[in-house]
Amino acid sequence: MIMAEPATITNPEPAAAPVEMDLVRQAQRGDLAAYDELVKRYQERIYATVYHMTSNHEDANDLAQDSFIKAFQALKSFKGGSSFYTWLYRIGVNKTINFLKQRKNRVHMSLNDLDFNTENNPDLVALISDKTPRREAGLNELSEKLNAALLKLSEPHRVVVVLHDVQGQSHEEIAEIMDCNIGTVRSRLFYARQQLQSLLADYLKPT
Amino acid sequence: MNENENNFEALRRLLTLKRHELPPPGFFNGFSDQVIARIRAGEAGNVRTAVKRVSGTSWLSNFLQLFEFKPAFAGAFASALCLLLIFGIVYADRPDSGPQPFLTNTDSSGASFATVTPAAMPSENYAADLMASNNPATSLQPVASFLGSESAFAQPVSFSPSGN
Repeated sequence: MIMAEPATITNPEPAAAPVEMDLVRQAQRGDLAAYDELVKRYQERIYATVYHMTSNHEDANDLAQDSFIKAFQALKSFKGGSSFYTWLYRIGVNKTINFLKQRKNRVHMSLNDLDFNTENNPDLVALISDKTPRREAGLNELSEKLNAALLKLSEPHRVVVVLHDVQGQSHEEIAEIMDCNIGTVRSRLFYARQQLQSLLADYLKPT
Repeated sequence: MNENENNFEALRRLLTLKRHELPPPGFFNGFSDQVIARIRAGEAGNVRTAVKRVSGTSWLSNFLQLFEFKPAFAGAFASALCLLLIFGIVYADRPDSGPQPFLTNTDSSGASFATVTPAAMPSENYAADLMASNNPATSLQPVASFLGSESAFAQPVSFSPSGN
């Protein structure tokens, strides 16, 4: 199973949009069954975003749950100015950034759960192919280095690179989630990539 | 921008590795249930508090809870308590019986206080003296004299014979 497979997160399909708004309205009236449906709809995306920012499953679990709970508590203030998932993402991202700011000692994840599809991914296999300087590096080591490099980025830069390059969100969506303009998103993404490229230079295939 | 995208192509492919990181198996099966359970627990906690407030175990706990939620009520209650204390002190200073005229002889024999010699007072008008000495407002002997300090009523007297 690929966790963050919905990499191209776009606005929900038009047919589903009214249903989502209906669910939101029902949840606003305190209908927990409707909110349960909303949680199920977005739990993987919210969890994945939080996880990629924290690199820790336990923290991601707590933060994702807290985000959904806070969203439910603040649901009456949701006026529908943006889509529900953008609003939800904003809560999750802000909650995670606050958490990371408070957490001084950053705990690196212990990656032991790459799925079996990883070895069949041609892009990843190519990364550790003969042309790779450190071909002895396994995928697990590569993942650990990747997470360590991500954790060296500042929170706003990490959010942008996770949302764009890992989650596949557009610049516009990220700008809406982070409440900033698109130019800021682009510059942050460029800077974050530069940083990552220098940190992971030994693991990147020479171009 | 396309040039930048091309420059970061290897990095972007590397970042796709993140998509293969998985939570524990079956993690999402109970995720929403946990969220809903926590929401219900939070709501139940509030209800429990409200119920406890309404039909609490003791009136004292309910009374103290009013202070928690309404600090103004606590201030008003403290002010009322202070006023009650001040009135209590003021009325406690008053004598139990009605006001007595100062240096009035209550003796039924009809002898006035002025005609009684000081030496004879304790024996002849003992009850009145006792009352007067116990009442700080009407006592002829200031409290300060008990502490050894000179008072306005006790002045040193010299009995030197005149004409010497």
